[in-house]
Amino acid sequence: MRRLAGIFIVAAFAMEAQMVQVTEHTLSNGMKILIHEDHDVPNVALYLFFKVGSRNERPGATGISHFFEHMMFNGAKKYGPKQFDIQMEKAGGRNNAYTSRDVTVYTDWFPRTALELMFDMEADRIRDLSFDPKIVESERGVVSSERRTSVDNSPFGTLYEQLNATAYIAHPYQWPVVGWASDIEAWTMEDLKAHYRMGYAPNNCVVVVSGDVTPAEALPLAKKYFEPIPRQDPPPPVRTLEPPQLGERRVEVRRPANLPLLMASFHIGPARDPDFPVYQVIETILAGGRSSRLHQRLVEKEQLVLNAGGGVRPSLDPGQFLFSFQVRSGRKPSDVEKSLYEELERLGKEPVPAEELQKAKNQILADFYRELKTISGKANLLGTYEVFFGSWNEILNAPARIEKVSAEDVKRVAARIFAPRNRTAGTLIPEPGAEVKQ
Amino acid sequence: MRTAFGILLMVLPGIASSQVRLPEFTREQLPNGAILILLPRHDVPLVSVRAVFRGGAEIEPQGMNGITAATVEMMRRGAGKRTAAQIDLDLDFLGASLNAGANRQSAYFSLEFLAKTAPEAMAILADILTQPAFPEDELRKVLAQAADRVRSSKDNPAAAVGPYFNGFFYPAGHPYRHSGTPDELSVSGINREEVLNHYRRMAAGKNLIFVAAGDFDSKQFAPLARKIAGALPAGEAVNAAADAAPRFDRPRLLLVDKPDATQTYFRIGMPGIHRRHPDRAALLAANTLFGGRFTSLLNDALRVNAGLTYGANSILDLDRLTGAIAINSYTPTATTAKAIDLALEVLNQFAGKGITQEQLDSARAYIKGNFPTDRLETSDQLCAILAELELFGLGRDDIDGFFQRLDALTPELVNAAIRRHFTAGNLQFCLVGNAAAIEKEAAKYAKSMKVVSIKTEGFAPPDF
Repeated sequence: MRRLAGIFIVAAFAMEAQMVQVTEHTLSNGMKILIHEDHDVPNVALYLFFKVGSRNERPGATGISHFFEHMMFNGAKKYGPKQFDIQMEKAGGRNNAYTSRDVTVYTDWFPRTALELMFDMEADRIRDLSFDPKIVESERGVVSSERRTSVDNSPFGTLYEQLNATAYIAHPYQWPVVGWASDIEAWTMEDLKAHYRMGYAPNNCVVVVSGDVTPAEALPLAKKYFEPIPRQDPPPPVRTLEPPQLGERRVEVRRPANLPLLMASFHIGPARDPDFPVYQVIETILAGGRSSRLHQRLVEKEQLVLNAGGGVRPSLDPGQFLFSFQVRSGRKPSDVEKSLYEELERLGKEPVPAEELQKAKNQILADFYRELKTISGKANLLGTYEVFFGSWNEILNAPARIEKVSAEDVKRVAARIFAPRNRTAGTLIPEPGAEVKQ
Repeated sequence: MRTAFGILLMVLPGIASSQVRLPEFTREQLPNGAILILLPRHDVPLVSVRAVFRGGAEIEPQGMNGITAATVEMMRRGAGKRTAAQIDLDLDFLGASLNAGANRQSAYFSLEFLAKTAPEAMAILADILTQPAFPEDELRKVLAQAADRVRSSKDNPAAAVGPYFNGFFYPAGHPYRHSGTPDELSVSGINREEVLNHYRRMAAGKNLIFVAAGDFDSKQFAPLARKIAGALPAGEAVNAAADAAPRFDRPRLLLVDKPDATQTYFRIGMPGIHRRHPDRAALLAANTLFGGRFTSLLNDALRVNAGLTYGANSILDLDRLTGAIAINSYTPTATTAKAIDLALEVLNQFAGKGITQEQLDSARAYIKGNFPTDRLETSDQLCAILAELELFGLGRDDIDGFFQRLDALTPELVNAAIRRHFTAGNLQFCLVGNAAAIEKEAAKYAKSMKVVSIKTEGFAPPDF
């Protein structure tokens, strides 16, 4: 029955993958449009992926991609300050946006009746954003507050920032997406305008439309509103390659806290690394679900940590396999490290049993379905594949790529990436007097 | 990320002109009293099942807050012939996901699995619901983990302010005083016998609502579902607590001292409504405008115009008993009074002036526009909404007639509701921040003010 379940899942997924029908069109200015029809609810998800993120920044202006993400809501030529949100919410829509090391993504959700309005407003801000000095200053305060919440007042955020700054010594992935506090205070208007010119070219953007819409409705709107935006030079290539790590690195943070934290980072390849599916399988074996090796050993058996998080995210440049643990009261981060490294070493030495490998593949494939449940999940998946894996079409190959991963692949890749010299460990130690009594 | 609004807006539904309707489903009562609801739909090849037991925090014995959550967690830690580790393994092998938890009025299990694995997945759920073993060693682990989770949350003021607010806002003995999970103090009062008693009281046919939605054929699936839901003893229906709305005769302020905090996290509460309250539609519209969306008055004033915070919103509780309406935000320590003053100014103006026709139209469009994707898009959302209707004793008209009720609102009706509920007097302030820096200015908001260290165990406030 166990083997059979695996086979069922693959067969079922293949059928569903054919249901991810996409109409693809590239406008004359280079902007790529992907349209997926789903008429379950009368709503549409419109996602704009700009291929610009903190990797395109420089020291002194770190965090500017993220700050710019905020500025995109602060008024353009046709729709002035506040109008993007006011018009959108009045039309029954809602939005958000996120910035990562690699991309800045604008996410709009709205009833189908607001389709043309959204194309109009997005085109307005991509082409004619305004830069009011007063609004820039006010937004600086907002971003400072965001940084205080996500970094300064979060032990996890504090350690994560320090860990990355240690794991990378050359590549821009070393600085935080939100930016260093001093840079947030120091950006100039010219920095902002230069960033806009660099990142917000139509030929640097992938637009995904998913939901209660047909290509016959969406394409003419894309041509009407997006196609007149002139093409520009895309961001210059990120030249710096992170040099190979030559030995373990460590970073320690001391601050008031009840519980310690442990994080560990290992360098891996980018999303287009042929071994990326192997990383995904390793991630699931180690930290996918409660039956995973790290959860069973560290959380359940040894009771050293509250949660065992670990995994990879697709990235344009070589990325990280990252682990994160909230250490239990009275336990030492060094004990967690010892058990973690034993597990990582074991994965590089002993072939993973067939049944355990099948379990990991079943989990990954079931998770694909979960992402296909909603129009926003599908929009995000299509854009992510288009930007990080070269084409949305790769979604259709993903199940087969996972299925092909062998026990030998897992052993080979684990032995390579989890080598101690490739490791950066970070610990957060509660300052004396702040510990909790056992 | 631009805003964390999505996460906070769980209660807020939202389309344009047309009406919404729940898809067709079947409802039956089994001989043991359990309610079984089935909604087949063939979108993706997944099935969602939601098993809900009435009770939740409302039926927890005194001093044992969080025992419902502990009981639910324990049910999946060894059942039938499966150990805790075996249950985890069996679920993961199927690619299934199981979430379980407790809230103010219920405990729930939410299981999602691939349609083809229905017999195996349902067999695991049957063991969990009907044959839990409650192993002693697992219980010790669960309770110790719960206490450490509270310690971890107190390292993150954004996570800690909610439980402190609840402990402070609701009077002693009120079931909503506790956040639904065990804390460092209550874990010591929970033992295997109490968990077993709690399970017996809760896991009865008369308290069970069992809902499934997704890719199944009812003819084949219904017998599986009936077998599980019908296997529990009928038991006794839980005695739901009578409503006792919090009342305040003066403003009070609780300051939770976290000396290393660089921001102040604050909640300002007033008594609100319950899920069946006739003012619900009016207050949904009112709260959308006050603090329920990005362009709301609070967020516009504190974030967009003043740059004092990353976000300001208001939370409208919609539970079985009367809850709170609470302003929620944070700001750097140095601008604490400025941000709170501004929030109060927004509240005063809103309570005094009310809303206009144009504002109402916008709020209505927003609620309608977001409603389909928030509540009706996926099988797990449909399971949740069907269970919610049953739990609160509402019929399908609560959804099918929802847009009509919104359409029937006028500015006069909404403003009357605002006058009834948005009171600028006797507000209840809960602040988490650096007391040495903000205590003096905080004192101006309430003569009744107490300071408690975040190092004190539990979330209970000092006596006021």
